[in-house]
Amino acid sequence: MTSHADGRDTHEGKRGYRPGSLEVLAVLLLLLIIGQRWLVDLFDNPALQTGATIFISIVVQALPFLVLGVVLSGAIAAFVPVSFWKKALPKNPALAVPVAGAAGAVLPGCECASVPVANGLMSRGVTPAAALAFLLSAPAINPIVLASTFVAFPGEPMMVVARFLASLATAVVMGWLWLRFGKLEWLRIGPRDHLTGDNPWHTFRLTATHDFLHAGGFLVIGGLTAAVLNVVVPQEWLATVASHPVLSILALAGLAVVLSICSEADAFVAASLTEFSLTAKLAFMVVGPMVDIKLISLQAGTFSRTFATRFAPATFVLAVLFSMLVGWWLLT
Amino acid sequence: MRRDVQAVILILVGGAVLRISIGDTFLNYVKEGMRPWLLLSGGTLVVLGVLALIDVIRRARRGETAEEPDPHDPVDDDGHSHVHGPRAAWLLLLPVFAIFLIAPPALGAFAAARDTTNAAPPAEAKAPPLPPGDPVEVTVADYVGRAVWDSGLTLEGRTVQMTGFVTPNPEGGWWLTRLSLACCAADAIASKIQAVEAPELPADTWVTVTGTWVPGGGTKSATAIPLVQVRDLVEVPQPKNPYE
Repeated sequence: MTSHADGRDTHEGKRGYRPGSLEVLAVLLLLLIIGQRWLVDLFDNPALQTGATIFISIVVQALPFLVLGVVLSGAIAAFVPVSFWKKALPKNPALAVPVAGAAGAVLPGCECASVPVANGLMSRGVTPAAALAFLLSAPAINPIVLASTFVAFPGEPMMVVARFLASLATAVVMGWLWLRFGKLEWLRIGPRDHLTGDNPWHTFRLTATHDFLHAGGFLVIGGLTAAVLNVVVPQEWLATVASHPVLSILALAGLAVVLSICSEADAFVAASLTEFSLTAKLAFMVVGPMVDIKLISLQAGTFSRTFATRFAPATFVLAVLFSMLVGWWLLT
Repeated sequence: MRRDVQAVILILVGGAVLRISIGDTFLNYVKEGMRPWLLLSGGTLVVLGVLALIDVIRRARRGETAEEPDPHDPVDDDGHSHVHGPRAAWLLLLPVFAIFLIAPPALGAFAAARDTTNAAPPAEAKAPPLPPGDPVEVTVADYVGRAVWDSGLTLEGRTVQMTGFVTPNPEGGWWLTRLSLACCAADAIASKIQAVEAPELPADTWVTVTGTWVPGGGTKSATAIPLVQVRDLVEVPQPKNPYE
C-alpha cells in the first residue's frame, strides 16, 4: 500500500515476470464480465437476493459517512499541527478522557467515520485513552443522533437524556479503563511516515486514500456478516425473549451488534421494536453506535485484532450496564 | 497492492456509487434524502482515484530516469499496512460487482414474510380523519395503523386506494404489502393487509387495490394484520420508490 511496495514493483523486471495486482485485477474483471449471466442465475433466489440487497444497502448507506470520516482524518493529519492537540486537551490523561468524550457531542459523525478519525488523532499524539473515548462518544451523542432519537420517540423526551448519559458514561469509563489496563502494543498506530506527501494537500490525499481503502474493506466484511445474519436469524426468536426483562435487554443489545445500523438511524429501528421495554430499546441505542459487527471489523482492521477482541466485549458489557442503570433511573 | 490498482479500486467504488445515485436505482437500497451525499462521496472517491492515477503516471515518468525508490520511503517497520490494508481493499470490489453485475432488486415478499410485527403504535393517540377523495389514496402503513390502533374508526365508510406488492399468506390468500425504511434496506419494516376476495397472484406482483375496510384481523396489537375488502385490483409496475 505504500511507495515501498511500488519500489518492489519497479524491480520486478529484473527478477523475471511475476503477476502483480494489476494483472490480477484485469483477469478478475474479465472473468466476471464473461460469467455475468451465470452469476445472475445464481442469485435468482429470494433469500440470496434479499441478502445481497441488504448488503448493498448497508455499504451504500455507510459509504458517505466513511468518506466524510476519511476526509476529516486526512484533514487532521495534513492541516492541524500536532501542537494543537497538546494545547486543546488537558495534560493529565485522566482529565483528557472526559474532555474528549464530551467533544464527541459536538462533532457530527457516523461510527464508520469515527474509527479513522480516532486513528488520525492517535497518530497525531493524542493519548489513546482520550481518542478512544472520542471514538465511542462521537457517533453516540452527536447532535444529529440525539435529534433523531427525539423524533423517533415522540412521547418520551427522557429517552434523549437517557441515551446521552448512558453513552457518555460508557465512553468515559472505557477511556479510564484503557488508561488503567490498556497496552500500547494492542494498537497499530505510529507516525505513518509513508503517508507524508510532498505538501499538506498531498498528505491529505494519501491519508484519505489509505484510510478509505483500509476501512472500506472492513466495512464490506461487516456488511456481509450483517446481511447473512439478517436473513438467517428467525425473527420469532426476538418475540419470545421480549417478555423477559433482563433477557430482552440482552437480546436487543445483541441485535444492535448484529444489525450494524448507523447511529443516525438506529433510534427509528429501536422505536419499531414495539414488544420491548424502553430500557431494552435504550440498550439497543447505546450499544449499537459503540459495538457492532461492522465496527468490530473496522477496529480490527484499523488498530489490530488483539485490540478489537478486548475492546469490543468490554465496551459491550459497560454499555449494557449503564443502559440498565440509566433506564432504571430515568425510564421507569 | 500497487498504487495504480488502489486508484482503479477507488474509481470503481466511486463510479458504482455515482451509477446508482444518478438514476433511481439507489432508491432500492436507501432513502431519497441520501442522493446528494451519495453523489458527493462517489464524486470524491473518483477524484481521489484519478489524482492517485496521475501520481502514478508522474512517478513512472520520473522513474525512467531515477529507478531508485523515493528516499522518503520508510523501512517496512509497520508491516501491517502493506499486507493487511491492501488485502482488505480487494473486498471493496464485492459491492462494485454486486451493483454492476447483479444489481439486487428492492426487497420484496421474502423480506416482508420474515417480519413478524406489523403495526407500530402510532405517534398520535388518535389518527386525524382521512383527507377527502373517493377513492382516497392512503399508504399501506397508514391503513394498518388506523385499522389496528384506531379500530378502523377513521376508515369506516370510505373507499381507499393503496399500492403494494403481493406477499403470500401461508394460511391462504395474500397480504397487500409495502416496506418502509427508517434508514436503509437493512432495517425495512413491513406493513401487511390481508386482501379479502382477491384473485390469486404470484409473490412480488405489484398491484393497486381499491377497497373498503372490513373488521377482523385483531386490534391493538403489533402483530395484528387487518383486512381490506377488494373492490378493484390493477397490476401496476413497481413504483419509482419501492418503499413508503
